[in-house]
Amino acid sequence: MAEPKEKSHNDQKPKPRVRPIVRLGIFLVSHSFLVSVVCCTSGVLALFLLPVLAKNTYISENALMPGSASPMLSNQHVLDGNRLVKDLTNSNLKSSETGIESHKIIAQYMLDLGAEVSFHKFHPQMNQFHPLHFFSSPDSGKIQENYSCSSYGINTVGIIRAPRGDGKEAIVLVTPYNALKSGFGEALSLGIAYSVFSLLTQVTWLAKDIIWLVADSQFGEYAAVSAWLREYQTPKFSSLSTLNSEMCPDINNLFEIKVHSVAGSKFSNSFRRAGTMAAALVLKVRDQGEQFEDTISIYAEASNGQMPNLDLINVVNYLAVHRQGLRVNVEKLRSLLNSSWLKSLGEIFESLAKVAKTLNPKCKFGIPATEYVEGTATLASSLYYQALGVPTGPHGAFRDYQVDAITLEISPKFSLDKVWRNDILLRGGRLIEGVIRSVNNLLEKFHQSFFLYLLTSPSKFVSVGVYMIAFALLIAPLPMVAASLYVDANSSSNFLKGDSSTPSAITDAAEHGITIRSWKWLNSAKLVFIVHLWGAIVSLLPYFICQIPDCSPMTSFVIWVLLSILSLLILNSVLASPLACVKASQEKEWALVKSVTISSMFIGLGLMSVINFATAEIGALLMVPMCLLAQPLKLDLRAGTLRSCCRIICNLVLGHIAFPPAAFFLLKGMLEGFGSANVGDFWMWVESLWAWNSATYLFIGLLRSGSNPLMIESIQVPLMDRVGACE
Amino acid sequence: MEKLKKKIGSLSFWNWVIASIIFRLILIYFPKNLNLSSRPEVSTPLTSFRRLAEGYWLKQSSMSPYAGSMFHGSPLLLSLLGPLTVKRIEGQPNHLLYSLVSVIADLVSAMLIRATGQNLQFAYLRTLGSLDLVKQIEGSELRSSGDVAALIYLCNPFTIVACVGLSTSPIENMAVILCLYGACSRLIPLAAFGWVIATHLSLYPAILIIPVIFLLGCGPDAPPRKLFLQRHQQKGVLNESKLPPGFTWRPIIHFAFWTLVWSVYLLVLCGISLKQFGGLWEMFKSTYGFILTVEDLSPNIGVLWYFFAEVFEFFRNFFLIVFHVNILFIILPLAIRLHHRPCYLAFVYITICSMLKSHPSVGDSALYLGLLGWFVNELSDMQFSLFLFCGYVGVSLLSPVMHNLWIWRGTGNANFYFATAMVYACLQIVLVVEGVSAMLNHDRKLRHLITGKLHEAKS
Repeated sequence: MAEPKEKSHNDQKPKPRVRPIVRLGIFLVSHSFLVSVVCCTSGVLALFLLPVLAKNTYISENALMPGSASPMLSNQHVLDGNRLVKDLTNSNLKSSETGIESHKIIAQYMLDLGAEVSFHKFHPQMNQFHPLHFFSSPDSGKIQENYSCSSYGINTVGIIRAPRGDGKEAIVLVTPYNALKSGFGEALSLGIAYSVFSLLTQVTWLAKDIIWLVADSQFGEYAAVSAWLREYQTPKFSSLSTLNSEMCPDINNLFEIKVHSVAGSKFSNSFRRAGTMAAALVLKVRDQGEQFEDTISIYAEASNGQMPNLDLINVVNYLAVHRQGLRVNVEKLRSLLNSSWLKSLGEIFESLAKVAKTLNPKCKFGIPATEYVEGTATLASSLYYQALGVPTGPHGAFRDYQVDAITLEISPKFSLDKVWRNDILLRGGRLIEGVIRSVNNLLEKFHQSFFLYLLTSPSKFVSVGVYMIAFALLIAPLPMVAASLYVDANSSSNFLKGDSSTPSAITDAAEHGITIRSWKWLNSAKLVFIVHLWGAIVSLLPYFICQIPDCSPMTSFVIWVLLSILSLLILNSVLASPLACVKASQEKEWALVKSVTISSMFIGLGLMSVINFATAEIGALLMVPMCLLAQPLKLDLRAGTLRSCCRIICNLVLGHIAFPPAAFFLLKGMLEGFGSANVGDFWMWVESLWAWNSATYLFIGLLRSGSNPLMIESIQVPLMDRVGACE
Repeated sequence: MEKLKKKIGSLSFWNWVIASIIFRLILIYFPKNLNLSSRPEVSTPLTSFRRLAEGYWLKQSSMSPYAGSMFHGSPLLLSLLGPLTVKRIEGQPNHLLYSLVSVIADLVSAMLIRATGQNLQFAYLRTLGSLDLVKQIEGSELRSSGDVAALIYLCNPFTIVACVGLSTSPIENMAVILCLYGACSRLIPLAAFGWVIATHLSLYPAILIIPVIFLLGCGPDAPPRKLFLQRHQQKGVLNESKLPPGFTWRPIIHFAFWTLVWSVYLLVLCGISLKQFGGLWEMFKSTYGFILTVEDLSPNIGVLWYFFAEVFEFFRNFFLIVFHVNILFIILPLAIRLHHRPCYLAFVYITICSMLKSHPSVGDSALYLGLLGWFVNELSDMQFSLFLFCGYVGVSLLSPVMHNLWIWRGTGNANFYFATAMVYACLQIVLVVEGVSAMLNHDRKLRHLITGKLHEAKS
């Protein structure tokens, strides 16, 4: 009966010819295990190859023309700068009570040069967590209600109007300065800035206004700069600020004295503005110097792994190395410099390069092993700071307003004689002058060079096109494994049905496909969605916890953990206990859950790679093996072979490492030793992350929890078994 | 037992409806943080709330609402919704009344979708009954497609976003659904009214006239007569009463009449409200003209803005014609192939329009995804469902991120955002192709069942 029918069907529907691309896809999906192993290893390998593949930087914007003009900063300006340094250190010795004295001195010096001067009073903003502000515009023009008169900072701002400009553009020079306890380095940085400033009041080539911001760093450098920028970019039309200044008499006092003493000059009480900012430089001088030579460190990472345009770093690097003879330095992970395995890896690459060169003399591949180690250390720190999403200096505030900015930290060869000091003033000043002159030449804002790159040394970079390959290789197995699991689950379900029922029933079920066959994944999707929802709730919880007054980090952390568990239980009970209803004992159900989870992980990682590449890369390194290896414990236990035992161990280890607190402690332990680890530390770390609106935080919260279904499933299965046994 | 199960089902249905409405109300209470109404995905120049408010303001100060190319909607929307844009209640969010209107519109649409879905399912079962195929489906459970569709429409994040983002698309969607509902339940004046309003509000639903004619002419589910003949031939007796009714012209003439009445009525109303400001011509120029000439190139989730920003000026007219004819080209083949399932035809048309229209928004996708729920039983064998789902999730998350990179961070550029728009268009294409092929497979399956039975009977 069934036979002829079967035959007639075969006659009617000859096997459709499969197109090559589809065949390729089927091939990849069916060999997903091999493909994923190959892809993952090559992804990790490509990551380690990045320092070798780094290209030399070049100045992409022709208008910049760095170093084409000879520096004009002369000894006279250096002497001026020196005078300011002396005055400041003296006034420090006199020890004024609030540091107003030194601000007055700076303002007086600026006024003497003929610049416009104003004070900007600000209240340090409490770092608050705004869960919904990650993607909104940076202007959160919030007005804080509860100012207190006791804590405020004063930024001194001097503006030179360009003789050739139309006042539409400006270049910002920032020197953080803490009037209360300033070191000699800060005074020196002011001296450098002043000497440049005094030069710039005289030159005729200036086409952009120069803003010199002396940021009051008693509440942190970032807070001062960001407060000033907020005021600059989002003018307030409310009367609140004036009202406040009336309430606080001592600030008014300061302003009055000021106006009195320099009547008729360009001092103004109101907030002064220049044009849109083309670039910003933050200048710092470190108190303890290097031993061998004068070096200059560049810090570029802004919030959420954003980087300034590469051209800005190029200009600084070019001028510092080729004109001023300074050694340029970018941050490195010191612990990696001495690691032997990295060195041997570098040697392997070097020897490989030699072999390649003998085969093809044109092949310019490979770098010396020591250079490789240094490049890797730099790359690692570049990845780390980008992944953290916390700006490495006050320049981070500028990037929120699309202004390219970097921090330059000069660490001089330390000795206290006057010749040395003049030398540093001269060279630092000339460097700043050169950079400003270059930026001054710009016709448009920085756009020619890269925004997405990783530095492996001050003069080498890996562009987005190269490092994305490593990432793509790493996450390529995810969709393939998801597809193969999905296909398996679907086909096996049909197969099972066929086994269990009579032949006529098969044909009916197969023929009349009213059963919702292809939508079976919806249940698993529901489970995954609920776990993601839980992740979102867990990551929003700290916002409420930090409202509780007087909480030590330890207790907050405990509260957080308890509330998270509670919310999971509530979600589970409210939404019809999806965790229980998915009977994971069936293997195909598990395969569907895994498939959906892996696809959601793929989406999440892909999304994150656009927002913040470094976070996505590190996340992928942790999660991809975990996702691919995850397997219910019960199935493995039952199998009891060596392979499954290995898999269990891998699962447990990876599952624990990828759990954020565990990862944090492990990292901390590696870097600082395990003795100092403390549960409260994790809370502090998390607090710092969301204070900076770091997307890393959301990422950890959402994506990490996204992989939880796997964990929950794999743990739940034995538990359910035990419950069943008890009954 | 069966009844109890049904009762529980409907209970959970109402629970979900209430939950989705409460969720909307919660979102309405903090719109400041969400800023949805300024997202390019939610509000296009045609559906933007801010433009509506601007148009109302212009009209209040006795200027033409179309002055300054700000407002491009219907003058009736101005008269009906305009007052709500300025009305405030002390202590409540600014646009509470307006948001409540959109919530109600969503709810009404969902109820209409549910009723239509039940209608469709009834027709489908009747067809199966007349083909003697009821036995086959008794074993497998049939989802109530009306409930599914209504829930998809209500709980879809796209619908929620369009509703909370204060765009006018909930109202446009309601008009479209009203038209389909009227046609399915043979309320001809209602169908005509819905069609006229939908066309008036957003022009593209005009092509729904074809499915509506099929719906009115041969009913919501009409498999080819050939099948019936085959089926009944082998039985020997041709039961006339079981045959589906043929195409009848009477309701269509009714429909034409009512369409005429409603359009004249509508035009008169518009004429009255625009009497001082240039009259109807002005209205046509800045609504339909605006849609067809793609004047506004501000980014949205469609593909036309990028194309027309790049294209040379002297080719512009040519490509305008090409793009609009694209929609018209697809109408005829689909109408021929799917004429026995008019509602599915309507769904396909709406999907294609929302892919090729000049200013698409997520509200359009909300509509066709909701209508997809009607065919949950027929499309149970659709391929790539997980892929499509993941694609929609990915694109809807990626699009704001790319926009942020382009506009706020300055590290990306327009290509980044356009890439997501292209992916989105591809997803819609895959959805249409897979959906149509799944539906044709389903029909094929029905035919096989019948011919299989024939074999059985013969042997």
